[in-house]
Amino acid sequence: MALPKVLRGPEELSVDGPKVIRSFDVFGVKINFTETIVLEWFVIGIILLVVFILTRNMKVRGTSKRQAIAEMAVEVITNLVRDTMGKRWLWFTPYIATVFCFSIFGSLISLLGVRAVTSDFSVLLSWAAVTFLLITATKIRYGGVRGYLKGFVDPIPVMLPINILSEVSTPAAMALRHFGNIAGGSIIMGLIYYGLANLSHMIHLQVPVLMVGIPAILSLYFDLFSDFMQAFIFIMLTMVFISNAGPAEGET
Amino acid sequence: MKLGFLSIDLGTILFTLANTLILFLGLRHFLFKPVNQILEKRQAAVDQSLLDAEEARSRAESAEAEYKQKLDQAKEESAEMMRDASRKAQKRSDEIIAQAKAEAAGIMQQNAEELEREKRRAEHELRGEVSGLAVMVAEKVVGREINPEDHARLIDEFIDSVGDAE
Repeated sequence: MALPKVLRGPEELSVDGPKVIRSFDVFGVKINFTETIVLEWFVIGIILLVVFILTRNMKVRGTSKRQAIAEMAVEVITNLVRDTMGKRWLWFTPYIATVFCFSIFGSLISLLGVRAVTSDFSVLLSWAAVTFLLITATKIRYGGVRGYLKGFVDPIPVMLPINILSEVSTPAAMALRHFGNIAGGSIIMGLIYYGLANLSHMIHLQVPVLMVGIPAILSLYFDLFSDFMQAFIFIMLTMVFISNAGPAEGET
Repeated sequence: MKLGFLSIDLGTILFTLANTLILFLGLRHFLFKPVNQILEKRQAAVDQSLLDAEEARSRAESAEAEYKQKLDQAKEESAEMMRDASRKAQKRSDEIIAQAKAEAAGIMQQNAEELEREKRRAEHELRGEVSGLAVMVAEKVVGREINPEDHARLIDEFIDSVGDAE
């Protein structure tokens, strides 16, 4: 009796990037429309849906639980930004919230059996690029273009390559850290499922029973904990790097 | 077709940036703006009610002070009235006493006058009787009738002289 394919467990382990759904040719540059983008839309849809539900019918008095959650979320993230970056960066709060939600939900959708958005390096690189641009913009704003360029030959001109490297390594490290954790976690989980399926077959179990339960404990770390940690680390680093690029509050 | 595991894809980057912008605008417009508005309104309401409470307290304090003043005034007035009343009563009693004294004096004088009159009347009667008696005695002694009128005049003179001598 042949079992349906679904019940037999993974038969091979593949480590791939996202599927390309379509490719466009814009002025000779190839633009890929990948699986990741569709999942991003899905994630955005979920987040905005949650936001709509939470902020529906808000009142000044006699707030509902939904509204209390929305208010608490806004206050927590606002206080976080104020404490780490200072008051002048408060306008930046929605971006931090955006990256945080996007990262968490983007990682957590892997629980639904699809690719995590954050296991696509390009996504993390985009966010890191935004951070990098803001760091540079802040440096130029408070130090001028000359001050910014002068920073590269500080303290001595020989340091130029090292300074450039350190400037570039900031976003690169952020992107790689987040990507590595999520993608690595998903590979490890894949390996575990694959290994347990094979182990089950080795002891002549038609259905890979060993796959039940055991991965759940590891999944707590690799999927839940790691997802929250990486999202939090990413926004903390973004905030710290950007606010450190300018003078400390009160000095301007 | 699949991309490499660690591929850097321009299309994905551009789309992700656009999506991030969309989510940023969405969260700012649908979450942060309304919630912050509500929080500000609530803060304003709290400030307003604190202000109102402060105002009410100061109003109550001023009202209390006013009442206290009025009470003091009323006490003052009642004390004044009491003093006034006792003064009036004193005056009245003095008047009554004076009147009584005056009446008593009047009565005393009346009595004295009455007495005087009585005395005079008695004197007069006595004088009449005495003169009658004298006339009778004289008639008996003289044995003839004496004109009573002449005698009366004489006796009067006599009595007067006697009275004078006394």
